[in-house]
Amino acid sequence: APSSPPLPGGSPSCRRDRTAGDRSPSCGTESRSISAESPGCCRRAAGFPAERCRTSPSSPAATPSLLLTVWTLLTSALARSSLLCSSSGLRGLHVTAACCKNRAARIRIGKGNKPLTYEQALHPHHIGHRKGWLSQHTSNLKGEDGAADRTVEDVFIRRFMFGTFHGFLANEIVLKRRGNVLIVCAIMLQKMLPQKFYFLIGYSESLLSHLYKCPVKLEIQTLVDKAVYKYI
Amino acid sequence: MAAPGRHVGHYIQRNGRFLLCNIDQVLGHRSFGCTTAVRQQAAEANKESAESIVIPRKKTWSKEAVLEALASTVGRDSTAYSYQFQDDPYLSPRTAVEFKLYSLSQESGRSAAKYFVNSNPKFFTKDFAEPHIPCLMPETVSLCLEEVSEEALKERINLRKVTAAVDMYDQLVQAGTAVSLETTHGLLDLISLYCDRDPVEDEGPQTEDTESKDPKKKKGNYRRASDFLKFSWKENNNAERIFNLLPERDTRCYSALIRGMVKHGAYAKAFSMYTDMLNNRLTADVHIFNALISAAPEVREKYNEKWELITELLKQMNEQKIRPNLLTFNYVLKALRRCGFLAKTQSLHTLSEMKALGIAPTLASYDHVLAVFHRSGSSGPNGVDILQEVVAELAETNFTCQDPHDVMFFANAIRVCLDNKDLELAYKVHSLIEFGENYRLLGDPFHQSVYYGRFFNLLCMMEHVDVVLKWYKRIIPSLYYPNPQGMKDLLQALDTDSRLDLLPSIWKDIKSFGHDNKPDVVEDLLSLMTRDNHSAEVQESFAACALDIKSAFDLNLTSRLEWTNSSLSHVTMLLLRANQTKSAWEMLPLFKSNNRVPSDDLMNSFLSLCHTDGTSQKAVELVQMSAAFCLPTTPQLAKRALAEFDLTEEQRAILSELEAAGGEPSD
Repeated sequence: APSSPPLPGGSPSCRRDRTAGDRSPSCGTESRSISAESPGCCRRAAGFPAERCRTSPSSPAATPSLLLTVWTLLTSALARSSLLCSSSGLRGLHVTAACCKNRAARIRIGKGNKPLTYEQALHPHHIGHRKGWLSQHTSNLKGEDGAADRTVEDVFIRRFMFGTFHGFLANEIVLKRRGNVLIVCAIMLQKMLPQKFYFLIGYSESLLSHLYKCPVKLEIQTLVDKAVYKYI
Repeated sequence: MAAPGRHVGHYIQRNGRFLLCNIDQVLGHRSFGCTTAVRQQAAEANKESAESIVIPRKKTWSKEAVLEALASTVGRDSTAYSYQFQDDPYLSPRTAVEFKLYSLSQESGRSAAKYFVNSNPKFFTKDFAEPHIPCLMPETVSLCLEEVSEEALKERINLRKVTAAVDMYDQLVQAGTAVSLETTHGLLDLISLYCDRDPVEDEGPQTEDTESKDPKKKKGNYRRASDFLKFSWKENNNAERIFNLLPERDTRCYSALIRGMVKHGAYAKAFSMYTDMLNNRLTADVHIFNALISAAPEVREKYNEKWELITELLKQMNEQKIRPNLLTFNYVLKALRRCGFLAKTQSLHTLSEMKALGIAPTLASYDHVLAVFHRSGSSGPNGVDILQEVVAELAETNFTCQDPHDVMFFANAIRVCLDNKDLELAYKVHSLIEFGENYRLLGDPFHQSVYYGRFFNLLCMMEHVDVVLKWYKRIIPSLYYPNPQGMKDLLQALDTDSRLDLLPSIWKDIKSFGHDNKPDVVEDLLSLMTRDNHSAEVQESFAACALDIKSAFDLNLTSRLEWTNSSLSHVTMLLLRANQTKSAWEMLPLFKSNNRVPSDDLMNSFLSLCHTDGTSQKAVELVQMSAAFCLPTTPQLAKRALAEFDLTEEQRAILSELEAAGGEPSD
């Protein structure tokens, strides 16, 4: 299964565009100050890229005074709850709907000098259409069990290969399970002498076999450079 | 990346049904093989479009047709490298050196992993394999029992710790604890096997049987210095000491001692121990007799004495009612190799004895018999008849290795064929190997290369060059990396059948095998290319090859290649013939820098070249150069130059001077 970590559950308002600086543990709240002069519009907080700002659901015909009283009530109530109160004092209030943006496995565009492989360039919704699967096993079929165990093994094997062949992997590892055998397919760069490759291959195969009590085979292909699909 | 499966499957499902529907309509029936039949007919129809097409009404296939078709696709891929390597051009070994290097580095990676597993067993003990796989569990390599007990002794014996086991035994005896007979047997076996020394800790892959007789092998076999220090049985070592201290000794104790003595070279002692045993009225067992028979040729000098000793032992074996096994007979045959004139008759008797007892002779037995009948280097048909009978007997059988000596059979068999120049027999021997899984009996990579080297040698000598090239593509380099001698054989085969146009591609292969730094191979190649004149495009390719060879000389990484007279001349001639004048002129200074002298033909051809180009200045320089080399043809060259070229006054003066100067001594 492709890696797509489940988003922290909760109301849609919890899903925020997470910028680099935003690491708040609660449902990402940002300080938003609603100016009394412009009740209907929302203000973009600093650091947010282009978002679709939706106006507040309240009708523009509402009187400012009513809105003001509602607001003061809310803030006083919120100020009392210690969970949502922070240094700025105005957290925890959302007046626009959240922008449900997907960030999983997507590399954001830059200046045009960042090379991307095919795997990195295509987003997860292309899996099954333009991309294949990186881990192939039958545990996700109906009536089969062990999917969680296989996933944990996959994560370990990916980290193991990433560490053992540090700096040599040109692309993601593909794991195939056929019967008892676990086949680890990797594309590597030709930065090392072949005998050093073979040393690491023999070591990895043997260690992984002993760890998982099944035959583990490595199928390596080598490239001179990483295969660039496009530049972002 | 894996293709999106659903997408492809969908496509096939849609279109496949379409195809099948169409074909069903065409043929009007729905047999299982109809689609393949139609495709085959279509293919045939395309080929014979000129002739009239007759489409049969119906084609029937046997029940196993599909299986046979599938089976025909599975065979040995002759272009693939050995399975232990990764299927990638960067990671495939091109030379024999690389083969050894990569397989050894892979093996060392595995032993590194094994070391980690064994030193941290707690991470690898979780066992979720059903059924249990013992070889993937960590092994205990360190001792856990420290107290003085029989259990601790058994543990040390299992872990092959010789000195520790002996110490533990001594402690036990001093403490007065009785050690069981089983454990004592185990201890004696251990000490005798390892000659009272701890086995080497890091045992790398054993490339050679350390008791092999032929020390002359050098290629592909990096012997460690320790291989040459064979352990010899010392006087009164621990095994003997413990043996003498035993209260009662039984057959197994004697057996351990005798076999250890024979293994480590104390032959006479082994025999004396055997007589001791007989004096104590014990019966021997089959292993003791095997050991003694293999030691018999060492303790007697003359052929008939050796044989008498062996027959004596066999008679005693019979008296003690011990049944001989395969190894007994194999050791008898092996001993017969050193019995001279007696061997021929006796070996055949031995074979018939084996058959009478119902023990099938293995490859090792046949190898010994073959060695008895074949004298390397002698004329006349030696060993061919025997080999033909052996091959006929062994055809279509699956071999298993029952004797460590089995792996020597094929190399020796092909040597018999090579010495007798018998190609048919060689093909039959090769068919034995290609049957089933018998290729495993070729032994380690070294023996395999010896076999294929001899086989290829025979092919190059006897077969037509097309067949040679077919075999060349088949066995090289997937099964055999040719050595320089092999390449020279191939060049000779090409010469015999005048396929010299293939020489440039052979040069490419020579480079990839790493033989481009062997002077004799390069010289052979160059002289073959230069010897005759060929057509224009062949000359072009030769010239390109010559430039490549020149760059190999210039590169000269291992500094084994040196320009010689012949190589320089050949390269220059080839360049001249292909009209690569500029490169040819660049070659001339190399003569001077390498202290070599160009030949007369070369100078004459250069002069003709100047004549066609019309460069008279160069012609004069050429004659001056030849004078500098003190070549005897200088006056002729000068005369020619004067005659053929329009020269200025100065040039005429120089040339006539050279002509005169050279002319005087010759008068």
